Amino acid sequence: MLTSAILQAINGVSLAALLFLLASGFTLSFGLMRVVNMAHGAYYLLGGYIGLSVAQKTGSFALAIVAGGAAIAVLGYFIDHFLIRRTGENHLAQVLLTVGVAFVLGDVALAIWGGDNLMVPAPKFLKGSVVLPGDVYYPMYRLVMIFFGVFVGVVLWLLYKKTQIGAVVRAGVDDREQVNATGINVDLLFVMVSALASFLAGMAGVVGGAFLTLYPGAEWEILVYALVVVIVGGLGSLGGAMIGALVVGLLDAYGRWLLPEFSYFVLFGPIALLMLFRPRGLFGKEH
Amino acid sequence: MDRGRLALSLIALAAALALPFVAGPFWTGLATQMYIFGLLALSVDLLLGHAGLFSLTHASFFAVSAYTVAILQVRYAVPTTLAAPAGILAGTLLAAVFGISVRTRGVYFILITIALGYVVWGVAHRWSSFTGGDNGVTNVPFPAIGGVGITSHTQYYYLVLAVILLCALGYRVLIRSPFGLGLRGIKASETRMQSLGYRTSAHLYAAFVLSGALASLAGVLYVYYNRFVNPVASSFPISVEAALMAIVGGSGTIIGPFLGAGVVLGLRNWVSSFFEMHHAIMGAVFIATVLWAPDGLVGIAARLRARFSRPKEPGP
Amino acid sequence: MTQLAIEVGALAKVFGGLAAVDGVSLSVPAGERRVLIGPNGAGKTTLFHCITGTLKPTRGSVRLFGRDVTRDPEHRRTALGMGRTFQITNVFPDLTLLENMTLAIVGTDRRKWVMHRAVAAFADVRRQALEGLEAVGLAGRAAQPVKLVSYGERRQLELALALNTRPKVLFLDEPCAGLSPSERQRISKMIAGLPRDITLVMIEHDMDVALGLADRVTVLHQGRVILEGTPDEVRANAEVREVYFGHG
Ligand SMILES: Nc1ncnc2c1ncn2[C@@H]1O[C@H](COP(=O)(O)OP(=O)(O)OP(=O)(O)O)[C@@H](O)[C@H]1O
Ligand SMILES: [Mg+2]
Repeated sequence: MLTSAILQAINGVSLAALLFLLASGFTLSFGLMRVVNMAHGAYYLLGGYIGLSVAQKTGSFALAIVAGGAAIAVLGYFIDHFLIRRTGENHLAQVLLTVGVAFVLGDVALAIWGGDNLMVPAPKFLKGSVVLPGDVYYPMYRLVMIFFGVFVGVVLWLLYKKTQIGAVVRAGVDDREQVNATGINVDLLFVMVSALASFLAGMAGVVGGAFLTLYPGAEWEILVYALVVVIVGGLGSLGGAMIGALVVGLLDAYGRWLLPEFSYFVLFGPIALLMLFRPRGLFGKEH
Repeated sequence: MDRGRLALSLIALAAALALPFVAGPFWTGLATQMYIFGLLALSVDLLLGHAGLFSLTHASFFAVSAYTVAILQVRYAVPTTLAAPAGILAGTLLAAVFGISVRTRGVYFILITIALGYVVWGVAHRWSSFTGGDNGVTNVPFPAIGGVGITSHTQYYYLVLAVILLCALGYRVLIRSPFGLGLRGIKASETRMQSLGYRTSAHLYAAFVLSGALASLAGVLYVYYNRFVNPVASSFPISVEAALMAIVGGSGTIIGPFLGAGVVLGLRNWVSSFFEMHHAIMGAVFIATVLWAPDGLVGIAARLRARFSRPKEPGP
Repeated sequence: MTQLAIEVGALAKVFGGLAAVDGVSLSVPAGERRVLIGPNGAGKTTLFHCITGTLKPTRGSVRLFGRDVTRDPEHRRTALGMGRTFQITNVFPDLTLLENMTLAIVGTDRRKWVMHRAVAAFADVRRQALEGLEAVGLAGRAAQPVKLVSYGERRQLELALALNTRPKVLFLDEPCAGLSPSERQRISKMIAGLPRDITLVMIEHDMDVALGLADRVTVLHQGRVILEGTPDEVRANAEVREVYFGHG
């Protein structure tokens, strides 16, 4: 029982690591550009499929991650530039538009990769299990996944808190006018942040595709998890995305274990409580 | 109501009444669906077009009501006269719970309603011992009221038509009432409404529950038409398509959501006869609507009428 | 001794690090006409927001006719008799003037919850709405959507809305701002003609209007009260000249 509880905790944290990859991009694009991009789930799925094909062709998982991320960064740029930008700051229009984009991308992916569950092949050295203290066997991949999530989190955190660009982004999240005042090229900044967000989503697809598998519909399932992460953490907050990912990851793992038929219901708890006490999430600001 | 609109309404009503006689079962079926999904879109639009809240969880009320009716009728042989009200009640109760989302606004409201919708989908999908899992509940009979039963799709068409006409009339009174005016006030300026003495959250909560009740009614009509229900009914695409229908037709009007439902369903039917990727087509409709027709058909019609009925005004 | 209509105790509102209102105490007896003056950014509007419940104060208390309303939401305070206008016109642009007035009239009674009868069926509401518009000279505009009427007319509607919530204490935030001289005169005359049992608290930049209307004047500067007195006292005060008129 205790070992299961510990295993579920690790499961939860590894899911949290994945969710963080997806949610951090979503929350940053909202924080800086006030863009709600519901196509993030589709970016994840498409990135995963592209990574899958690259991994099958080249046998390199690292290349798959880079290719999945880069392809989506480019795609994301075009979608941003030609479609989302035209909605201004009308969130309703953004949501409808990006849902439409996600539908199109989902169908394109279905036409190319088919409807079966596909798994991105993980590299050899990540296959198999590790023996944790207490004679618990745990899949190596999911453990490394946690370190990867922490690594990306630290990199983002440093970018955000320690660099010049990060300072401008933070200022912009607090007050949009300030970005214009710094004299920096706002358009370029927006392109960079949105490319980073898309890159993270595409990369998450490859990483997640190696343990959650890829299939039509996965884009919406993962998106909803990411949305709950963002709701819990507060829109626009990177720290909030980290905490939110942990909350959602752990709740999901324990929910699946203890109440398998109602595991989605377990997600309802934190949302309901937040709405009652903190409608803008743990770290959300007035927008 | 001016005479033009009255005449138009009468013509539309006559066409609706005559439809089963002049068109075949295919068109009658499509029209029935259009009424049912139009009603769902209308329920979404009570919040969207009047109160300014964009809910993406209405498939939840629709589906919970449909499941309730199906399970009661199929497993427990409960008669329609009890099963249908029970369905509406179940959906409305869920709306009363999900209604706490009116504590949030804007993007938070949108995101939270999406997440709530997935909770219901997840339960429908995973709690298979009760909901039948992906297969859902099948063999739902036609409705029967007292000894009188519906026996054909044509009869059911007229029943649905009668229900939506009643709903449209009731809805018309609602949106013209002080309460309905209050919703439009909140959409325009919530701060001002509060300073005028309105507890705006209570107003929005009431609108949310009412709108959930209407969506539940649509769910009842749906399950008796479809004769089965599965998790698809509760899925996110249903919620977002209902909103799309309202916008395509014309948000804030009564006829708009029904027109929009006709356009969306008709298009999907037509396209899927020669092209497999109908999700992609729906996606394209979403994109096109946002970019080129944000006011929907009713908006386009109003603009055309304004252009043709009155000569161009001289410049300022 | 007359009752106090409004009693503000050591009220403060901090935005980020900036104390927009910094420990203001203020007592307005029932029936008095009080004018608040002070340079731009003095915190006048923020003080109004905190008193009427639009904003939550960081510290301090607000009493209305002796009752502590600090924790009450805005709509409660309106129901208890506070009415207000906004400095930045806050009306309903897509609705007609008549509909705007209807919202104000039914907002403070139970009729706002009626769902089964059309607004048009309430003849008395309609009559009161038209009278209210007439009072500010807008009767001819009743059927027009607000977005089609002029800025000055919107300001007048702003005032009419506040007047029709049955206020006992009326807060007016620069009602004449941005109006033409003739409109300005009409509005200030109208305000002067309000029943004396309505307590009036008004922010006004125009010194002539302010000092002509006020029983007493409170001068705010950098979030604090620097002087309170009769119009004559204020006119004579050197410090006020310093901060308000720029130089002595
Ligand atoms: N929501 C807000 N967030 C941050 N600062 C604010 C906010 N509202 C007002 N302030 C600041 O508080 C100070 C007081 O503003 P306030 O609007 O109360 O002044 P005022 O006396 O009404 O000025 P005016 O005569 O220009 O209307 C100003 O420095 C303003 O910038
Ligand atoms: Mg001010």
